[in-house]
Amino acid sequence: MNVLVIGGGISGISAAKVVLKEGHNAIILENTPELGGTMARIANCRIGFKTFFDEIKDDPRLRVIRDASITSVQKKGGAFTVALSDSTVIEADRVIVASGLSPYDPVEYKGKRVLTSLEYDAKIDQRNGELPDDFNKVGFFLCVGSRSKEYPLCSSVCCSYTIREVKWTLQRAKPEIAVFYNDLRLFGQEFFLEKIYRDAGVRFVRANSRYFEEDEEGVTVRYFVDGELKEERFNYVVLAIGLRPNPSLADLGTLFGFSLNEYGFVKEEDPLFTGAQGVFACGGALEPMNIKDSILTGFGAGVLAVKDADLLTSAAREQGLLYNEPGPEITMPDGDVSSCLFYLGTEDPGAAMFYEYMSARFIEAARRLNEAGKTVYVVTKNAVMPSYDELNYEKARREGVVIINLEEGQALDISGKQARIAGPGRDITFEVDRAVLFDDYMDHFKGKEFLSVYRSEPQLRWSPTKWSRKKYHTGFVRHPRDKRWEPREVLGALGEMILDREEERVYPEVEEERCSGCGSCKDACPQKAIDITIQEQQVAVFGPITTTGVPIAHVNEDSCVACGLCVSTCPSDVIKFPET
Amino acid sequence: MQTTDRALELTGYQRQDFSVCLGCKICASVCTVNDLSFNSNPQDILQRLFLGREIAAEEPLVRFCTGCYRCTGACPWNIRIPEVVRALRETLSTESPFEKAFKASLQIWGRVYEPYVLMRAVPFLLKGGYIKHMSRWMEYMGFHLPHKVKRT
Repeated sequence: MNVLVIGGGISGISAAKVVLKEGHNAIILENTPELGGTMARIANCRIGFKTFFDEIKDDPRLRVIRDASITSVQKKGGAFTVALSDSTVIEADRVIVASGLSPYDPVEYKGKRVLTSLEYDAKIDQRNGELPDDFNKVGFFLCVGSRSKEYPLCSSVCCSYTIREVKWTLQRAKPEIAVFYNDLRLFGQEFFLEKIYRDAGVRFVRANSRYFEEDEEGVTVRYFVDGELKEERFNYVVLAIGLRPNPSLADLGTLFGFSLNEYGFVKEEDPLFTGAQGVFACGGALEPMNIKDSILTGFGAGVLAVKDADLLTSAAREQGLLYNEPGPEITMPDGDVSSCLFYLGTEDPGAAMFYEYMSARFIEAARRLNEAGKTVYVVTKNAVMPSYDELNYEKARREGVVIINLEEGQALDISGKQARIAGPGRDITFEVDRAVLFDDYMDHFKGKEFLSVYRSEPQLRWSPTKWSRKKYHTGFVRHPRDKRWEPREVLGALGEMILDREEERVYPEVEEERCSGCGSCKDACPQKAIDITIQEQQVAVFGPITTTGVPIAHVNEDSCVACGLCVSTCPSDVIKFPET
Repeated sequence: MQTTDRALELTGYQRQDFSVCLGCKICASVCTVNDLSFNSNPQDILQRLFLGREIAAEEPLVRFCTGCYRCTGACPWNIRIPEVVRALRETLSTESPFEKAFKASLQIWGRVYEPYVLMRAVPFLLKGGYIKHMSRWMEYMGFHLPHKVKRT
């Protein structure tokens, strides 16, 4: 079967990986001379992408076509005949759309010292030579070109990316850094990163600005915080640009016969399915998403293209490979109050990772109460509602839910029926019948914390759902978020299972008769895959037969990575790779 | 007491066109009233309206807003804050006599009838010391008149 992958970014490569592993032909079609897409524009991710691609680079069934675009498509039976701009004709049975995202270009603000986040990334790239001399003060401004009238979605990755840019900046130099944000939409353990940089002296300011006066030496920025207008000089200003749908998706839609939604992304009929027979979508074609999720959806689309996903899912469920714990039941107040206050804020970075899960529920409850004619206030320290969830937030604001943003240094005080927001430059008091606090719900998440912390760690993962080769995490356990992600995660997990399956590893074996159970292999193992167990042995040297315990090493094949350290450590060559 | 709905009704828009505000305070960063160092925050005016608070006529933004629409241009949602300010002035009846006369003229004739506007506005001009300072004004204007240039 020939599978055409449109787009050579990270999700396209992931999809091609699954297709190749299943023994089908993959054709990657790239619009630009270089593979990699948006991910390869980030200096610190370029090598990761290259390594990921190098694993399939030499596969004879892979064909990469660079610098080409589609001119016409003919559909006959179940197959597509695709003509390219360089007059090549491709026969394909399945098509995977992985066209990715296109970063917004804020031409009205850009300058020599007002940079977009991607331009700034190139500036602080270690391989790019020296930093400029006047690299003393940098300001980051979030939400440029997203969450606005022309593009109401939240880009969902710019906050995380900015936190990383702060990290990469501090790795190279020690400038004074200020981050200006509306909401810090981080995920999982990234809130710990935020705390670390706060403690390290990075200023976080809950205000935004569009007043950038650039001259030769720097940029004058005005922003309004603590009840007064402040003017500050920065050497460089970084605009965290939003990610918008690829404009060529519209053409692809007309060529292949799938439809787009009103924001310009692919309209998903089923998870990762565009609605046109044999055409699937993944990555940035669906919604703004981070690299981990692009890999995940890429694997999922690859599975859908070449396998029967329903059969695979039920087989995986039977074997108990897919692991999920449902999220906790959360009850929200009903309409027996006349005014209600929801407070989205916590001091604990460990609890903050549930912002995303709880924000959606708080806003939903606020909208419901508001519809019933109650007065609803939502006080937010941080409302995490990425990509399509932002639409609910927007609707809540439009419908008349009063949303009050707490600035840094301001605090909410509730005594009896009196709620008071006080801090520098602000003092608001209002009556509320009932206050619903974020911290009150944290008891629900006890016991589930460890798993979700692990799954949403800040590092990049090439296998986004894998816990071990016998356990693939999906749903709430992997990342507590919206329901639409769960079927996608299941598909991604199936892709990872395919990639893991035929990997024939040779595990070291223990010659049990000679093993003395000294434990040197156990100490050497980096994966803790060796257990020393006491095996009962019958001994009859003199006289009656007696049973004694003998320590013997065992290799646990679930966690063994076959590195061979135990083999080289063993003093008596008892543990060995089997000879083939 | 002014109500939110009354004020927003006068703008000719619906409440939801204003309540979509994100609270990012971009409007305050570009506001020209802040060039006079008044520390006024247009977003705060909106928020107080939605909380049902009274807004005083002495508020710098209500007094000095020039309606330049810089806030609207910079706002991610293009919220038309000058129109809210204008509506607030109307509910507080702190519009200038010229503004009042202009609107009354529109209501009566459906167009600007200059004699009427002048008639309504002149008493104010007299009271405000226009005549008293006229000589100074003339002097000032004369300074700006083009000088005769001798051609050679």
